[in-house]
Amino acid sequence: MKKNNIEGWLFVSPLVIWISLIILVPIYIAFELSLFNVKIIGTSGKFVGIDNYIKLFGKSKFLNASLNSFYWIIGNAICQTFFAFTIALTINYKFPGKKIMANWIILSFIIPTVVVVVIWKLMLSSSSGVINSVLIDIGLLDEATGFFSSPNKAFISLVLINSWRWSPFLALIILSGLNSINREMYDASKVDGANFVQQFLFITFPNLKSVLFVLGLVGTLLSFNIFDIIWLITKGGPSSATTTLPLLIYETAFTKFRISQAATLSIVTSFLLLLFSIIFIKSMAPKEDD
Amino acid sequence: MIKENNIKLIFLSLSLLLIILIFFFPFFWIITSSFKSPEEIIATSTTIIPRSFTLEHYNKILFNSDFFIYLKNSLIVSFSSMIISIILSVSAAYGLHKLKFYGNKFVEYSLLVTYAFPGVILLVPIYLLFAKVNLLNSYFALIVVNVLFATPFAVWMLKAFFKLIPNEIEEAAYIDGASRYIVISRIIVPLAAPGIASVAIFCFIISWTEYLFASILISGDDLKTLPVGLAGIVGQYQIDWGFLLSGAVLASLPVILLFVFIGKYFVSGLTEGAVK
Repeated sequence: MKKNNIEGWLFVSPLVIWISLIILVPIYIAFELSLFNVKIIGTSGKFVGIDNYIKLFGKSKFLNASLNSFYWIIGNAICQTFFAFTIALTINYKFPGKKIMANWIILSFIIPTVVVVVIWKLMLSSSSGVINSVLIDIGLLDEATGFFSSPNKAFISLVLINSWRWSPFLALIILSGLNSINREMYDASKVDGANFVQQFLFITFPNLKSVLFVLGLVGTLLSFNIFDIIWLITKGGPSSATTTLPLLIYETAFTKFRISQAATLSIVTSFLLLLFSIIFIKSMAPKEDD
Repeated sequence: MIKENNIKLIFLSLSLLLIILIFFFPFFWIITSSFKSPEEIIATSTTIIPRSFTLEHYNKILFNSDFFIYLKNSLIVSFSSMIISIILSVSAAYGLHKLKFYGNKFVEYSLLVTYAFPGVILLVPIYLLFAKVNLLNSYFALIVVNVLFATPFAVWMLKAFFKLIPNEIEEAAYIDGASRYIVISRIIVPLAAPGIASVAIFCFIISWTEYLFASILISGDDLKTLPVGLAGIVGQYQIDWGFLLSGAVLASLPVILLFVFIGKYFVSGLTEGAVK
């Protein structure tokens, strides 16, 4: 195809400039800060070179937050894949009310995250939450439990809440992939005697490759970025069990006022995410057919 | 054959039941709870059907709080972010879709990465940058950030919609002597209108729900957005649940109303066009 270099760049440049300015200038500022020893915003500190970086890797807080972030991404990936596929495969069938359900399943995604927090704080409350009383009624619990009181329970509850918010949105994207699969393949496989588990494994799944690529990349980065749900419910506790890297950065900058440390953390984290993205794109990007 | 269909039917009804319970029941719960008396909300024995009915929480939030100030701020920020996002992303998506240029794949993948990349990593440096150029405590600060978060995915969705427009229509217009500008404004934009509507609602949602940057970049009470206002109540030691719940319902209402009107474009846009 003929190249339209000048015109092409003319069309994309307003957005590219907007995005680059708002990403690259701050990253430059952060990098500069990470070489100094600045504490409170607006004050100046002395040049310390790569000291901040060396110190960072020896900090147990950093290691703890990195591990938490890792578990957070894995936990969310598992839960969201399960919920999203369940929703997508269910809605893909014909049943009365299908249209309404497909339209409104995304409710949990369009409301503000703060509202998500309000919903689950109320439902999971240890003193008056409906989940506790239902679990007691059906005999799964003897007495009300605090879903955010122990490290493990808090972590799992947060993963489930976050998955609750994101799965319907992901389900719709999976559905778009399902819709693009040729119906005739299913009919043909039926003639050959395939059951629906085999159909899923050998037709549905392979045909969703490009969708799954995008979800794998964007989903991982988006999960990593989650801040508000965790911060507003547990503030990173109990005993730092839910402090992921985003929370550590926030805490370091805005409650401990160690700006240079926070900047160092941001740079290291950006580098890790960029590395992940490049490897992911290079190894998993589907070949273009058109 | 019949046996397999029965298994399918059982699976289908089970998963439908689960989906309704998990994804819809919570909304029923907070909406009904927002009309319950304060005693019933925090009662240890919960009842599915409400026993009391009161409008006191809504009265309090509508006439005795800063709700309308926050609502106004949220509306201004979200609408402005939405309009700027649409203009920038229609232009970029058209460029990426129609005009093969040197570096187009790079731009495309970078956009995909930036969609998820920014967030908290940029929080500290953006705060410092905005402090330097005196942008803290302004609507514009939030708009700049929201556009950054909304446009990458918007471009990606729009590109898919543009692909659905047959090339011949455009070619015919050029033969008739139409300029690029005419083609975009008279052919591409009208034909992609459902796509643009769904992208618009996406951008609006992103801005409407944004909390992190709004809580850091804005400190004046008169410029706070709804999520930040609500979070203020969540953080209190003694939560006034009725007040909080009615606030949560009201803060969700505008996006839900918007969704009633153009939601079907959004969903069909996501499910039919988005990834092709």
